[in-house]
Amino acid sequence: MNLSWMFGPTMEQRHLLYVYVLVWVVQGGYAAWVGWQWWRSRREDRPE
Amino acid sequence: MGRSRIFGPLAATWFLLTLAAIGFATRMGLVLAPPDALQGNVGRIFYYHVPHSMLSLVWPYVNLAASIGFLYWRRRDPLKALTADALAIASAEVTLVYATICLTTGMLWGRVQWGIWWTWDARLTSMLLLWLLYVSYMMLRKFSSTGQTQTLAAVLSIFAAIDVPIVYKSIDWWRTQHPSPVFFSNDPDAGVDKSMMPAFVANIVAWAMWGLLLLAIRYALERRRQAREQDAALKAIEDSMEFTR
Repeated sequence: MNLSWMFGPTMEQRHLLYVYVLVWVVQGGYAAWVGWQWWRSRREDRPE
Repeated sequence: MGRSRIFGPLAATWFLLTLAAIGFATRMGLVLAPPDALQGNVGRIFYYHVPHSMLSLVWPYVNLAASIGFLYWRRRDPLKALTADALAIASAEVTLVYATICLTTGMLWGRVQWGIWWTWDARLTSMLLLWLLYVSYMMLRKFSSTGQTQTLAAVLSIFAAIDVPIVYKSIDWWRTQHPSPVFFSNDPDAGVDKSMMPAFVANIVAWAMWGLLLLAIRYALERRRQAREQDAALKAIEDSMEFTR
């Protein structure tokens, strides 16, 4: 899969790249935050 | 087998399936689908923008149903009301994530195609209003200390749901700069070429699966937080009874 055409200096190429990266960062960031809260709450619930 | 024992493996399987679906859909959008005849490769932004925009108009109805459930059950059956409230907060957060992506990816596309980041047309403005309503919803839940926070938030979610059909129909009701809808349009010139449709459908399915996963995990997290709060309240009552004895 050759995606080298995405990594260029034009505004079209940059903005297309930004969109795909931004979606992964926002969705991944939120998922990571929820996952971390879940992991933390499990650890707190565990009996000592 | 307990419900919590099923949830973990089920969520893990769903997570892997969703990742595969997102990978497949992204490949379709970036590689397999042809470039847009008018826009060229920048039209591939739509394969992420359109599914997120469509889904950001679906999750508010989950939020609405849960909020109405909360308002109905809050005096009749407080335990059911708590369940509905957990779904309400989970769906509000997922809505905010999808609406944020819809607005930002739309701005990145608009800067290339229109030469501007933003314009106050009906579609963009009503979508911004929906986003602001959900930001207000989250801030209300985070900072309000009235004791009626859940009720106020449920009422706010009804206002937000009223904005959803306005966002959807804004393109038909007013002359806007925004392109015609990809699906369900009466305009014969609207829609996309058949060669692009599989990539659109794959991305809608993949991001819907992802949204459902986020919704389920966030809901389970909120239920756990509620259970801990109930345990703490119960312990405080027991301690106070011990003290007065």
